[in-house]
Amino acid sequence: DLLHWPQISKCRSPEMETFSCYWTAGNFYNLTAPRIIQLLYKKSNEEDWKECPDYITSGQNSCYFNASYTSVWTPYCVQLASKNEVYDKKCFSVDEIVLPDPPVHLNWTLLNTSQTGIHGDIQVRWDPPPTADVRKGWITLEYELQYKEVNETKWKELKPRLSTMVPLYSLKTARDYEIRIRSRQRTSEKFGEFSEILYVSFSQIGIGCDHCTEEVEFPWFLVVVFGVCGLAVTVISIMLSKQPRLKMLIFPPVPVPKIKGIDPDLLKKGKLDEVNSILACHDNYKTQLYNDDLWVEFIELDIEDPDEKNRASDTDRLLSEDHLKSHGCLGVKDDDSGRASCCEPDIPETDFSASDTCDATSDSDQFKKAAEKEEDLLCLDRQDNDESLPSLANTDPQRQHRNPQSENSHPWAAFADSVESPRPSVHTQISNQNSLTSTDFYAQVSDITPAGRVVLSPGQKSKLGRAQHEGCTEQNFTMDNTYFCEADVKKCIAVTSHEENEPHVQEQSYNEDGYFTTESLTTTVANFGASTAEPPSSEMPVADYTSIHIVHSPQGLVLNATALPVPDKEFNVSCGYVSTDQLNKIMP
Amino acid sequence: MSTKGAPLKGLLLVVLLVSHMLLTKEGVTSLPICPSGSVSCQLSLEELFDRAVKLSHYIHFLSSEMFNEFDERYAQGRGFIAKAVNSCHTASLTTPEDKEQAQQIHHEDLLNLILGVLRSWNDPLIHLASEVQRIKEAPETILSKAVEIEEQNKRLQEGMEKIVGRVHSGEVGNDIYTPWDGLPSLQLADEDSRLFAFYNLLHCLRRDSHKIDNYLKVLKCRLIHDNNC
Repeated sequence: DLLHWPQISKCRSPEMETFSCYWTAGNFYNLTAPRIIQLLYKKSNEEDWKECPDYITSGQNSCYFNASYTSVWTPYCVQLASKNEVYDKKCFSVDEIVLPDPPVHLNWTLLNTSQTGIHGDIQVRWDPPPTADVRKGWITLEYELQYKEVNETKWKELKPRLSTMVPLYSLKTARDYEIRIRSRQRTSEKFGEFSEILYVSFSQIGIGCDHCTEEVEFPWFLVVVFGVCGLAVTVISIMLSKQPRLKMLIFPPVPVPKIKGIDPDLLKKGKLDEVNSILACHDNYKTQLYNDDLWVEFIELDIEDPDEKNRASDTDRLLSEDHLKSHGCLGVKDDDSGRASCCEPDIPETDFSASDTCDATSDSDQFKKAAEKEEDLLCLDRQDNDESLPSLANTDPQRQHRNPQSENSHPWAAFADSVESPRPSVHTQISNQNSLTSTDFYAQVSDITPAGRVVLSPGQKSKLGRAQHEGCTEQNFTMDNTYFCEADVKKCIAVTSHEENEPHVQEQSYNEDGYFTTESLTTTVANFGASTAEPPSSEMPVADYTSIHIVHSPQGLVLNATALPVPDKEFNVSCGYVSTDQLNKIMP
Repeated sequence: MSTKGAPLKGLLLVVLLVSHMLLTKEGVTSLPICPSGSVSCQLSLEELFDRAVKLSHYIHFLSSEMFNEFDERYAQGRGFIAKAVNSCHTASLTTPEDKEQAQQIHHEDLLNLILGVLRSWNDPLIHLASEVQRIKEAPETILSKAVEIEEQNKRLQEGMEKIVGRVHSGEVGNDIYTPWDGLPSLQLADEDSRLFAFYNLLHCLRRDSHKIDNYLKVLKCRLIHDNNC
């Protein structure tokens, strides 16, 4: 036999005016000399333990504290002890141990019966427990009613409620029911004891319908209704699923690395197109990108008169302020993700909602188109075997290219709004350039400093490009030809360390390396550094060409009035350097 | 996008609103009879008491739940309850401790006492809401309840001041108040001591909110229903 010590089983207050504690004596008593168990209590603000005032009223092994001993919100401690031994101890306050008595005077009345007489509604009424002073509001009770048919085992419960009456609907008149109710203090969790059971029998009041047939139980109606609903829902969902919107709503596209305005496919293909796209943030490019025809046309024109056309378009582009504005792409974007290639990394390729920078939908479309192009815009020349650099020269033949570009300037301008305003210096430069639109010039990057500065030399027709295919070292980086496409650069790099010759846009999405592999450029620059350390020529008005101080902001281009080739060794890898082509284009 | 998505968005919005309405806690979002800001509208005393009782019940309900959650999560096995012969900072206010005393106290005094207790909890509630965030891995539910209680406490005070203004024949006593100096204990470095301080505070909050709820019900039955609720 296990030895059970005396234990306080519970303390309870039925009405928050008195309370009682009960304990179990345990079998310890029998084994040894009978000991006297005492219950001692102490209020929180007292020092001494006092003995229970009433061992009798609540029964055996109990202690009753009447109203004069009870303070409701005062902490008490009680302990079960004999002479020198404490068996158990409990601390509580009276408001925590309220368990009301059961309700009394349960009765029921018939509300109505169904037409067939099979079912009936009744109203059950009761009184609150007499000990609880509900009238004066000292205690607020809520009641829970449970009922079941006489021969059932499981009770059905109703939600606890404050009122002392409740209707029960749709009871079967042929059956008898049992009802019981219990109560609890409103903010407590524990219920008191159940009341006595109330028996409900319809036959007693003469309404019983013993001979009534049972209703069909199978819920055909429900089956039909739910079937139709399910079908309707399925049909609707099928219909809706055709809408990409909904699909996107339910299954949002997984974000993939993307640059705003550039189709991720482009990235996959790893073409320079990407770069173009990014650059395409500028008006110029946009034009090109938008319009396949234009592009083709452009190409054709280039073949005819490459220099002229290129230059014109380039010039225009460079001159247009919108380039800069929309330069969100170009600008070094200070992207913590480290992917900060030039453009805003968020390209809504599937999501056609407008993205902030590099204007969304139309741009992305155009970008896509642009991306498709083999040639990168920057190195349009290349196709011509002439200038790899689309010159900024404005010539009339180029106007047509210009025009679309100017049209594009608007969307670009839209971007512009979203991106930071370009540096004033750039604008100045641009405006200057605008005035010089008619002049045939384009900026050639004579040098790229590792710091990301592009030294531009006066634009002249250059016979770059193809020549550069041979290899970096072989390239003749004179002032005239100091423009090199990114592709070329890459080729250079390929020669040195990388593999591909082709103007691939970085296959990666726009990450640090992405755009215009600054490393590659660095390499290239390193290669060229010595040879091409030509300062911007004095031929050009200084204002025309400046070294680009690439900044990290999306607008990125800050043009320094003084074009000094300062070979810094640090590149802004984060934004990468835009290929010189692009820079040129951007540059006024 | 706009045209196609709009009806869908509208539908979602409706669904959200409806579900919010259905899930709102009982007793708090009663429709105002008097639009706020209207000067001439006068709520009856009965209506004022009804709202006050609802608020006090809600506050006590939240306190209970918050205490239970805290108890479950942090107090198990730490023996707090054995130590919790706690004294609350409001213990210095002499409030009725049983039904007799509550019956005998004058209703104006009782109203002032209620207001005093509410005011004394302003400070602790503010700090409770901010300090509970520092508890390691405090559940969001506890935090949100703390914030909600603080807000409802203010509302209840406003309601009580209105009631006092209506019921009082004389001056509204502003002097019943107990300052709270328990903030350092909520910021103790030792986690056990800090948790015990929180336990105490929440225990006191539960107790005091129960007190206020009870007193208000007693007053309501006494003044409005003439002791015949």
